[in-house]
Amino acid sequence: MPVVKVLTEGIGEANLRDIKVYRDRGGYKQLKRAFTEMKPADVQAICDKSGLRGRGGAGFPTGKKWAFLPAGVAPRYLVCNCDEAEPGTFKDRMLLEETPHQIIEGILLGAYAIESHHAFIYIRGEFKRGYEVFMDALAQARKAGFVGKNLFGSGFDLELTVHRGAGAYICGEETALLNSLEGKRGEPRLRPPFPAVQGLYSKPTIVNNVETLAYLIPILERGPEWFAAVGTERSKGYKIISISGHVQKPGNYEVALGTPVRKLIELAGGLRPGRKLMAIQPGGGSSACIFEEHLDMPYDYESLQKAGTMLGSGAIVVMDDTTDFVRAAFNLVRFFAHESCGQCTPCREGGHWLERVLHRFLENRGLKSDIEMLARVSHEITGINLCPLGDSIEPFLASVLKRFPEQFEARVARETVRA
Amino acid sequence: MIDQQLVTVTIDGTPVRVPKGTWLVEAAKQIKREIPVYCYHRKMGPAGLCRICLVEIEGMPKLQIACNTAVTDGMVVHTQSDKAADGRRAVLELYLVNHPLDCPICDKGGECDLQDYAMAYGQGYSRSVDPKVSKPKAVDLGPTIVLDEERCVVCQRCVRFDDMIVGERELVLKDRGVRNIIATANGEPYRHNFTGNVTELCPVGALTSKTYRFKSRPWDLRRTTTTCTQCPVGCQMHVDVRVGVVQRTMSLEDDDAISDGWLCDRGRYNVGFYDDPARVTQPMYKRDGGWVQIGWDDALDIWAAAIREACAVNPASVGVVGGGRLTNEEAFLLQHLFRAKGVANLDWRAGSQRQASPGRNGGTLVDLESCDAIVLIGESPAERAPVMDLRVRKAALQKGAKVIRIASAERPYPAPIPSTDVATVAEAIKKLPKDPKRIAIVWDGCDADFATSLLEKLPAGAQVLTYITGEQANARGAEAMGMLPFSEPGYGKAESGLDAAQMFAAARDGKLAVLSIFGANPAMYRADFARASFTAVSDLFMTETAQLADLVLPAKGPFEKTGTTTNMAGDVLPVNAAHSLETPADALSDLEMVVALAEKLGVELPVAEEVDAAVLRHLAKAPEDFTLGDARFGTSVILSPSKDPERRRKAHVEGIAFNVVVQTRVFGGGGTSAHDARIAELCPLPEAAFSPEDAAELGVNTGDYIDLVLDSVSDVVQAHHDNVGHDLLVEVRNGMPRGTIALIGGLPDSPASNLAGARVSVTNIRRAPEDAAEAIGAPA
Repeated sequence: MPVVKVLTEGIGEANLRDIKVYRDRGGYKQLKRAFTEMKPADVQAICDKSGLRGRGGAGFPTGKKWAFLPAGVAPRYLVCNCDEAEPGTFKDRMLLEETPHQIIEGILLGAYAIESHHAFIYIRGEFKRGYEVFMDALAQARKAGFVGKNLFGSGFDLELTVHRGAGAYICGEETALLNSLEGKRGEPRLRPPFPAVQGLYSKPTIVNNVETLAYLIPILERGPEWFAAVGTERSKGYKIISISGHVQKPGNYEVALGTPVRKLIELAGGLRPGRKLMAIQPGGGSSACIFEEHLDMPYDYESLQKAGTMLGSGAIVVMDDTTDFVRAAFNLVRFFAHESCGQCTPCREGGHWLERVLHRFLENRGLKSDIEMLARVSHEITGINLCPLGDSIEPFLASVLKRFPEQFEARVARETVRA
Repeated sequence: MIDQQLVTVTIDGTPVRVPKGTWLVEAAKQIKREIPVYCYHRKMGPAGLCRICLVEIEGMPKLQIACNTAVTDGMVVHTQSDKAADGRRAVLELYLVNHPLDCPICDKGGECDLQDYAMAYGQGYSRSVDPKVSKPKAVDLGPTIVLDEERCVVCQRCVRFDDMIVGERELVLKDRGVRNIIATANGEPYRHNFTGNVTELCPVGALTSKTYRFKSRPWDLRRTTTTCTQCPVGCQMHVDVRVGVVQRTMSLEDDDAISDGWLCDRGRYNVGFYDDPARVTQPMYKRDGGWVQIGWDDALDIWAAAIREACAVNPASVGVVGGGRLTNEEAFLLQHLFRAKGVANLDWRAGSQRQASPGRNGGTLVDLESCDAIVLIGESPAERAPVMDLRVRKAALQKGAKVIRIASAERPYPAPIPSTDVATVAEAIKKLPKDPKRIAIVWDGCDADFATSLLEKLPAGAQVLTYITGEQANARGAEAMGMLPFSEPGYGKAESGLDAAQMFAAARDGKLAVLSIFGANPAMYRADFARASFTAVSDLFMTETAQLADLVLPAKGPFEKTGTTTNMAGDVLPVNAAHSLETPADALSDLEMVVALAEKLGVELPVAEEVDAAVLRHLAKAPEDFTLGDARFGTSVILSPSKDPERRRKAHVEGIAFNVVVQTRVFGGGGTSAHDARIAELCPLPEAAFSPEDAAELGVNTGDYIDLVLDSVSDVVQAHHDNVGHDLLVEVRNGMPRGTIALIGGLPDSPASNLAGARVSVTNIRRAPEDAAEAIGAPA
């Protein structure tokens, strides 16, 4: 049985938004334990040992990220990235709306681990309900004494500030998020310096995803060995994946990493009767497609990388034989072009150029030379951008151009015959 | 970032040794290997936006940007490999996808980085067949700059300049993606003092100067490098002339020591007066109350005769004022000629400044950057020496120096600069950072009280550097050349003569027979000015002073003559006549005039080589024994209010009397800006600034209009002014001392210039229309 309930435990059964319910089910116990029985370094060590990797998209080992913080520099900040906007991803939204206390506890644990006395959460602007739920939960937690001065009598002060985004996808990129949080234009920063050295307000800063921080709670509760026992060699533990597209039961499913892709699609109810699988986008809008032949591949970081794609945020979009791949490619390219901040050239100019060309294809006005040009230009703008957004344009487009060239060719304008 | 450990990096096969941490673009420059850049700028560092500086670095799978790559030992870089060339080609193609390619009508054509790089690295054709994105053209950003959004490559150099260098943050990037545009914050006009620099920073023809649009092609310009003599900073600049007219001026990017590579808008744009029709082109002689044009020979005869006769009776009845706007050589010969005739009444101080040489504590302009604290006294360097003010801002913005202003009636610094306003020296001392290593005092050279007492009280351990931001470009040179009543060239003690104030007083009493004024306009700035029995003035225009004279001599302007000038830091800088600039045939430089006059007076002047040697010798001697506010310079010419109650006029309506502070504005005046149509729009409106408390008491808001009436004055001012100011625009200014009203000096048709020290009352308050007040941001 591949479905597990760790972070998703109790969702849909109990009102976890109520701090009483959450505490009755063991909530905030690990927080208290950490503050009263453990040193920050202990929490860090446990996290490191569990093999937890960032659940936001990049999959960077969390313990290693924390270790980049320069020793002894204060203040330092923890920022929880809840600006979930990757096409196909909706796991953080569920956690935010259904189990906000788990997020608060995770943030507080993370902040304690890196010895930060001020944590921030950046909530996507469109998550209005989630924001309201979270604010309510935060008020409850504050009232219970879990946020503020001298937590659990440890002498450790910890403040949590909530900030709402204003609707830009790019602000999910950690340095753009920090700029936005500082009140600046949401543009990614040039690296180096990295946020761990010079982040929010030029101070050492760790940016972690909602799900990453939330997993700290069960890892502390059940031990790092429990978490590391699941998954594959370098992809440990559990992950919430968001399955959407042409499946019968789209939704969030918490699974062990390494579960075969075929199993994941089965979990989501499989394809509609009589439909044939054409492509799967396995890791959000920025990932290249995998196909039928990859169905038995384990869903983990390394296997997907080996197949030329990525696990990303864990958003799986299933596409059957009703899919118009030209339109799908246009849709994604338009998204990235629209969300480009425009500060660096390949993403700004390239994205828009590709969008215009694809738009012509939609109107059956493609040129024969465009097909090769789409592949070449999308490749040329990849790997030379300031941030990963520009590099997100190519993967899906290139993979479907290669797999379904006939769909593009069919949209090439017929030659005009001149009299 | 950079430490002194040297590392070796190999660029295209050539090894280069550079300090560790040097950016790759800079390392490449050392072997004359150009790596193309748009967003990177040496003074602002990498931005990583343009992605054109791609290079291949061995051991790295992806192309890297050379601007944000610090060299490491053993790094092997290829800038010309197929991979690097292909990366650049691809990026260039992207730049041209939406570029309008309107080179034939673009001012940048011929010196455009996009044009040049497209030629050097581009593929020569585009694969794009779709319509280009259209954006606003010829956007009027403000009085100086026009922007073509379509040409813009969004390198953000201009935005970063406004943020990192100027601190005003007026230019911003708006919208996103392919539709982003450069705009001003809140749509306000773009008008700080340094806007012109963005036209040079702009790698393409997006940002252009209104004064230069459609004026010339770069290859048709004749270029001369000279020193800007609009203020005592002495920025190095290129003067570009076509068809006999100055078309534009440009900064020198590598002028690190003086201008740091920038120009202020006054220096850049106030160059349109050379061909102004109002220019004096012939010697003018006043006969029967009217002006007649005469020849140079007659003019010199009249002038020499007046001097000869007066000297025969008593050389003490002859005076000379000027020199601060002349070259070192001119000032030297001027005092030489008159001292040879026994004249001791020599003074360059035609305005309110009393001292220009800071003495033993003088620092270089670069030194300002490494100060822990910079204390500003008197008028703001922002208005008097703008490019020097950029160093103050750099110290504050980039190096964390603390800027402290004592009793300042000036506008506050823009928000990113943490300036502290205090009322007294004691408070200033308290606000100093802990254990400062280096403190700079920047004084306007007028009222010495704060400067002297601050010097006494500064903490002992700190190195103190002093700077004087004066009114006249070569005031320091004039002092060194002996245009002072108490010192000879090289600051030697001279037979004491009258200073300017004493000369004017003598003139008022009928005791001054001949007064010769060179490049100065005391009638505009000083209430105590009086003409002598015979007054000769050399100037470019019929100034307020020239109109009172008997003889006016047509002078050459700074781009029309050759010599040297001395800046506020004591640097001796070249002044070069601009190639092919058309000069009125009968205009002479002050040097030529002095030489001709000497001939008529039978005085033998030293030959050119001797003059050059003397200038360098005398300038080299720093006045070790001077200090800020040295007593020998006398008291400030700022007038103090009359103590005689009989003289006090009854205050009019509101009954509150204010002390007048007269302030310089970069574009507020001076002879040359009044005769320059190109910058007329930059001239500020006559305004009156109050502290918020006083404004509340008076019941005035920003945007209102008021009139002034004279309340009490010294005897001198009263003689000149019945109407002291009308239709003044009110500005409520934070941080201003109470009981003070700040007026702008030097404006045409505004009598404020010589009101310093007077007391005035406010009358006839007119409310700003409500929507106007809102637009200006008046406090509710």
